[in-house]
Amino acid sequence: MSDINAIDMEVFNNRLLSITDEVMNTLIRSSFSTNIKERKDASVAIFDKEGRLICQALYIPMLLSGVMGGVETLIEKRGLDSIREGDVFICNDVYLAGGSHNNDISIITPVFIDGSLEYFIGNIGHHSDVGGVIPGSTDHILTSVFAEGIRIPHMRILREGQLDEDLLYMIAENTRDPMERILDLKVQIAANEQGANSLRKLSAEHGLDRVQRSMTDLLTYTERRMRQRLRELPDGEYTSEVWTDDEGVPGDRIPIRLTVRIKDGDVSLDFTGTGAQAKGAINMGYYPVLAAVFCGINMMVDPSIPANYGMFQPVRIDLPKGTLVNPEFPAAIGNREYSAQRVVRAITLAFAEALPQDRAVAPSADINTGMAFYGKRRNGEPFVYVEAVAGGVGATLYKDGMHGTQVGITNTSNTPAEPLEIEFPLIVREYGLAQDTAGPGRTQGGAAIIRDIGSLVDGVSVSTKADGKRSPAPGIFGGGEGGRASLEYHLADGTVEEIDMFIVDRIMKKGEAARLISPGGAGFGDPGERTAEDVARSVRDGFISEDFAAAHYPHARTKAAE
Amino acid sequence: MENSLRIGVDVGGTFTDFSLIDETSGVAHHFKTPSTPHDPSEAIENGLKEVIEAGFDPKAIRNFGHGTTVATNMIIERKGTPTGLLTTRGFRDVLEIARQQRPHLYDYSIHRPAPLVDRWLRLEVGGRFTADGEELEPLDEDAVRAAAAQFRAAGVAAVAVCFVHAYRFDAHEKRAGEILAEELPGIPLSLSSDVQPEFREFERFSTTTMNAYLTPKMAGYLDRLVQRSCDLGIKALPNTVHSNGGLMSMETAKTYPVRTCLSGPAAGVVGAAQVSTAAGFPNAVTFDVGGTSTDVSLILNGRGAYTPLRDVAGYPVRCPMVDVHVIGAGGGSVAWVDDAGALKAGPHSAGAVPGPVGYMRGGTEPTITDANLHMGRLNPVALLDGTMPVDQAGAKRVIGEIADRINASADETADGIIRIAVANMARAIRSISVERGCDLSEFALVAFGGAGPLHAAFVADEVGIPNVLIPEAPGTMCARGVLLSDISRGFVKSHVMVLEDASWEAILEDAGLLTAQARAWLDEEGVPPEFQRTVRVIEARYLGQNFEVRVEGEMIGKEDFIQSFYRVNDEVYGYHVEDREIEIVNVRIEAIGKIAKPLEEPPAIESAVEDAYLDSRPVHMGEDNGGWCEATIFHRSKLPVGADIPGPAVIEELTSTTVIPAGWHGTVDRWRNIILTRNEG
Repeated sequence: MSDINAIDMEVFNNRLLSITDEVMNTLIRSSFSTNIKERKDASVAIFDKEGRLICQALYIPMLLSGVMGGVETLIEKRGLDSIREGDVFICNDVYLAGGSHNNDISIITPVFIDGSLEYFIGNIGHHSDVGGVIPGSTDHILTSVFAEGIRIPHMRILREGQLDEDLLYMIAENTRDPMERILDLKVQIAANEQGANSLRKLSAEHGLDRVQRSMTDLLTYTERRMRQRLRELPDGEYTSEVWTDDEGVPGDRIPIRLTVRIKDGDVSLDFTGTGAQAKGAINMGYYPVLAAVFCGINMMVDPSIPANYGMFQPVRIDLPKGTLVNPEFPAAIGNREYSAQRVVRAITLAFAEALPQDRAVAPSADINTGMAFYGKRRNGEPFVYVEAVAGGVGATLYKDGMHGTQVGITNTSNTPAEPLEIEFPLIVREYGLAQDTAGPGRTQGGAAIIRDIGSLVDGVSVSTKADGKRSPAPGIFGGGEGGRASLEYHLADGTVEEIDMFIVDRIMKKGEAARLISPGGAGFGDPGERTAEDVARSVRDGFISEDFAAAHYPHARTKAAE
Repeated sequence: MENSLRIGVDVGGTFTDFSLIDETSGVAHHFKTPSTPHDPSEAIENGLKEVIEAGFDPKAIRNFGHGTTVATNMIIERKGTPTGLLTTRGFRDVLEIARQQRPHLYDYSIHRPAPLVDRWLRLEVGGRFTADGEELEPLDEDAVRAAAAQFRAAGVAAVAVCFVHAYRFDAHEKRAGEILAEELPGIPLSLSSDVQPEFREFERFSTTTMNAYLTPKMAGYLDRLVQRSCDLGIKALPNTVHSNGGLMSMETAKTYPVRTCLSGPAAGVVGAAQVSTAAGFPNAVTFDVGGTSTDVSLILNGRGAYTPLRDVAGYPVRCPMVDVHVIGAGGGSVAWVDDAGALKAGPHSAGAVPGPVGYMRGGTEPTITDANLHMGRLNPVALLDGTMPVDQAGAKRVIGEIADRINASADETADGIIRIAVANMARAIRSISVERGCDLSEFALVAFGGAGPLHAAFVADEVGIPNVLIPEAPGTMCARGVLLSDISRGFVKSHVMVLEDASWEAILEDAGLLTAQARAWLDEEGVPPEFQRTVRVIEARYLGQNFEVRVEGEMIGKEDFIQSFYRVNDEVYGYHVEDREIEIVNVRIEAIGKIAKPLEEPPAIESAVEDAYLDSRPVHMGEDNGGWCEATIFHRSKLPVGADIPGPAVIEELTSTTVIPAGWHGTVDRWRNIILTRNEG
């Protein structure tokens, strides 16, 4: 272990993280759109001159590989020699530029010191609209990437220091809110420049060699740490199979089949057997798969490992062509997070067999279902309101799963009822936890969310989907599955329509409402081993009904009756 | 004239600190007594007894204020009272769902804390307003009575009432409160429309529920405190420091205990702001290093930076608070090496017991304090003015053990542990400063707490701060802050609407009503009109955004307001946009009773620098500062105003140690602060 300088590594790692913190803060502080400003749907990363990820500021796991994809493909396609001092690149395309989906636009700034390229700093931000056929640009029913808004390969937005106003204008005018795009893109460019200056200052103060040696040490350390965690797991082959609910558009469920092979500190994830690419927009490009895979691996193997190039080294990923996880151009990819959640589920299931029980996690809701409303505000301006609804979290050996919480590749906040109702002509009729959705087990899953939203006026459009209705969270070690999603449409007279899976662009009348119940978290271990006290408490608190308790925990009810 | 005494008290986990000013002589005394966690008022009584035994007349105590962790500890230990929640139908799980986010991205064993009220005691009733105040459904009064019966049967000791849109349309909440008061006599009620009438239901419900949860025991504590001080013949009633660094009366503290969650740190920031501003540094970073954690915050133009929302033990509290950022690095933080070879300092702490190895209380793990002992920065024989012997050899032994694991020398390792701790602290300081777009080269670092002055110069070097201020008695800064605090309370009303002529009129009307409320409250607190002040803040944002900016001032014209809004956007975000609609969100009135006396210059002491000279010893000042060097050692109490001490030097005092590295020097200013400055060139 003497090959690394442990002190310098820690000190410089802190300084580099200060730089990504600083750039992230500038992004959040100075951006105009709520996506970046409030939801922190953005990320910042520093790379060495070979494009190896050194450190990153990250709030949403889906964006782990966002900037990385842009940098790696930039070097691969353009070559380091073509990059001049003062060039800054913009890109978003999944097929050409390692992107995540068209809404996520990366700005990549090569950092030169004394005339030579030494680092890259990049940031990625979710832009609420990038054009295309539907406001907001992504929708699972779209069937081509061309429908999902403007595609940007690696382009120089700054050429040797000069902003390309024409390019900026062309991109902005291809979206529904050009002013917001221009403001945010300029902030993304300026934030990188601030980070580049900090990198130059750090290298000038402490010497480029010393900083770069510490970076290499950090990568060496991280890879060694990852391998050590993997070596603690028994060598072997572990498989899992999970399913989507549909093809994005109504259609058949698609399987994701995973074989995990662990051998002496290396791991491979082979997706052979995964179903053909979807007609709708739930396909995943390579870098979104990478983000989902590492979301699962971090959960299972080392939740606090630093995210850098070293972490990726022991892991090999095989993705058969033409499948959901490696689609042929120009398949739509805008809602890649739907499938990403199922990839995380596949990993948690496969690793549950390999891990000591106290580190396994039962599957969670594993959805990223939005409820989308379009209409007119009170002042006549159009509005679009989209929100991802969380579900129950899977149980762990000693703890019940959390109720109503975002999992996997997302961790976005809800919109509280009050600001929602102030801003839009909508009313939240219920926002609570659904009874009998917690997967039974020795420890039980978390409860699902009920989100029941009505319209106060005629003419609001609603779209949503009961993702997780056909693919509930499966329990582990004898635990039961989490509750299935369900969807209802309520008419003004109180009539309730049961909806199978989709509501697509349904125009609401005043007093009508859509009521979505998300999936619950799965249970862990035999429900027969749950204590009578725990069951009684769940009944007292109304998380489960007397009937549910009698069906799944008969032992406890008998005892209570005694 | 009779003596006139002012006493400030800060109740900490280990010590209760006292700061006493005799206004007739101007003499200040600072001292500590051991805390009594089972009943914190006991330690206060002990300290007050010491004051009286020292010959002060209890009747001469004119002002008596205290900072307390009673509320915070009740939350952390979940030792409040059984509480019920009455809420709008469809919303009983707001407290449980929170913002539907998980606290750690990948570690699913880390959960949000369980709500302070169990689900079966969160009861729903019918009754609903829209955001515009239309009553969609009347309050179901029978359901309220039924809920009261359930609360009674369950034995709850406090009830929170939290209805949707009650920040503005409070009729249902008020009526439900009346019914509950009839049905549950003697049970304290907290209404969200009263505790913090701001929109966004989760944070308001959380704040209100916490208030209810704290009320009975906070009242009990304050009653005991009054009893004890009355028994000692003290007539002044104790004021309590609230989270935004002002004082409130006992009655206000009993009604709104949730406002005391940051009581202690807030007093420290107020004190630091006064001291640094008087010393010529109105922009500063506070740096309070204790045994287990480091608190940092910003002082901007002489005032502590404020936040409207923060977490207390994982629960959001929405009320004005000093914006203190806490990291898990203090003197007791343990240095360790992980199995892949990385050296870390903290966040695990050896605490006060078993503590650092060098303190000989049973500690076995190397801490930051042990690294400081190894390097000779802390006195290698004894601390606390020679009363607490230390074991430098023991510290060196455990540092040596960790050195072997990373294949470095013991000196490199001790230096490395400090550098890593300093890097962590520096990252926290950079983080709070970039959040507000501050340039640290224009700031001073105000270092206090036992271990702040020990690391201050190194942290200042790391973040590019040119000056460090070490106040007198840095270990009792929070108690001093109590003496420098005014009476204050924030009043707020949410009124979300697009800015136009009619809404501007409505806002001015709201501001007028709140100002009247604020004046009435100041009257109740006994503040004479000539000492009353109010400050108006309107919070606004661009339509469609969720982040509001604070526009302070009494502007009457809408256009003036818009120009101010643009100016604030320029300051905070670096630009403004002219053709977007503006939305008003909140109006706030800060009521201030100017009771604090300005800082007074301490009387001069007759001594020369030589009188303060104790010794010299080898001190390791860091690999980048020349390594081992012979440092001169001084005792602070004998340093005269104007003393100028070149580094390398160490200044010792009862509660702290100041390190001056080579390349720095320290001067004593007329307030008896030590100002560390980097040498020119």
